Amino acid sequence: MRALQADGWSRLTHVARAWPTIQQIAFSGMVAYRAEMIIWVLSATLPLVMLSLWNSAASGGPVGGYDQVDFARYFAVNLIVRQLTGSWIVWELNWNIRKGELSPRLLRPMHPLVFNLCETLAALPFRAGILFPLVGALAAWRPELLFMPSGEALAAFSLSLLLSFVLAWLIQAIFGMLAFWFDQSMGFWSAWFALWSLAAGYFVPLDLFPEGWVDFFRCLPFYATLGAPIDILLGRSAVGANLAFQAGWTLVAGGLATAMWRAGIRRYGAVGA
Amino acid sequence: MSRKLGAFRLEVVAALVRVSLLTAMQYRASFLAEFVVGLLSAFGVAVPLFLVYARVPVIAGWNLDGALLVTGFFLLYNAFVAGLVEPNLGAVVDGVRSGELDYLLVRPVDAQLVISMRKVAPAAVWELFAGLGVVGVALSRVGVPGPGPVFVAVVLFVAGLVATYGLWLLVICTSFWFVRVDNLRYLLGAITDAGRWPVSVYGRGLRLILTTVIPVALVSSYPAMALLERLDTDLAFGAVATALASLALSRWVLFRALRNYASASS
Repeated sequence: MRALQADGWSRLTHVARAWPTIQQIAFSGMVAYRAEMIIWVLSATLPLVMLSLWNSAASGGPVGGYDQVDFARYFAVNLIVRQLTGSWIVWELNWNIRKGELSPRLLRPMHPLVFNLCETLAALPFRAGILFPLVGALAAWRPELLFMPSGEALAAFSLSLLLSFVLAWLIQAIFGMLAFWFDQSMGFWSAWFALWSLAAGYFVPLDLFPEGWVDFFRCLPFYATLGAPIDILLGRSAVGANLAFQAGWTLVAGGLATAMWRAGIRRYGAVGA
Repeated sequence: MSRKLGAFRLEVVAALVRVSLLTAMQYRASFLAEFVVGLLSAFGVAVPLFLVYARVPVIAGWNLDGALLVTGFFLLYNAFVAGLVEPNLGAVVDGVRSGELDYLLVRPVDAQLVISMRKVAPAAVWELFAGLGVVGVALSRVGVPGPGPVFVAVVLFVAGLVATYGLWLLVICTSFWFVRVDNLRYLLGAITDAGRWPVSVYGRGLRLILTTVIPVALVSSYPAMALLERLDTDLAFGAVATALASLALSRWVLFRALRNYASASS
């Protein structure tokens, strides 16, 4: 907790100094449990199940502006964005808070959430590595899906992907921190995930929902964590509006997460842990 | 493990189920939260179907009613896995790691019985209702078939459940050798998710895997085909044979694994 009390600048340099070491530790941990990691990543292949349905549906001609190649492309990018914005903080916080394992983490001279962010980033090269065979298999099955986006689209996509990553991580942290108040917050997370699967464009491109719903879903935080970067890369929605909503939701989630941490940690201490 | 009469086994099962129901019902708030989750995930399975059929009337030979039937059976299967298979066999993996499995094995009952029936997750009942509802709606639209097709469908579905249980048990047994496999079950869950659509949606290779190796099509597509009277009955016998083989194999592997198991304390 010492780092929290220090002033902003020294806190930042402190994190920056510890960063490479933590990255290294986290990455080594990942390599040690590599079989487990590969299984985790492979179990996020639901977009491919969804693709099979839409691929069959589009066999007779385009469906709602998407032909078979468009669907393959959509779900390939979907897979990539989902992997690169993934984290496990909701499970970790839930477990650590319930079992009291948060206590030793609080003693470390680095904020537990910052520590987790660092671990999440360390997992990225690993996740990217596992994406290769999956996306490679998709591209082998349907080579037409490969395309060269313009420089601008790529830049906007990178920014959008970054915002998605931060927002998704913050939202998971928020649900994990609910464990400060409820013994078990995974139920809430499952409910959120079920809503997210539909409204984020995970199961179905949002374009395929009926008229009014599309615009409504595009304003929500679900879409900001997944659909927004996909649609930006594929040029299917307005770049500026997507980025604005993503930034807005990230600010809201950041504020909420900070407030929850402050209130929660006081409560956690009050239990005597 | 000691051999006892069948009646005794049934009594044990009933007692185990009763106790786990009572335990789970204590947490009323979480039980209700699970209700919302069950409803939402049933929604998640059905909404893409409605969206796609709003634009295309027939997909890979299936119309909306047929696909709904498949979805309904898939939800029923999910209820079985979430309510009975996962809580029990998942606990085995944790038990091997923490050593708690020893306490189960010393009980004077068949080890497989006590491992497989110890816990019930009552929240799965919502998915069960959702599945029954979807099957009911779909059947009311296509018309209820005669007793023959219904019988075949039920046989196929039960055989599929047994085969899946066997597969799960096999996967779980690997934890006796490689301790850290708890997320293999997530992988299994992810693959069986493919059962939510009619199996003809997939390519030929995948279709073969989903009918034989990971027989999730047996649970969803084939019962639906039986009810729609589009299935040859030979397959029903094949399915039953698969189920029995899977059950026997998994039991054999389990007992081999248990003999191998050096428990946490020894």
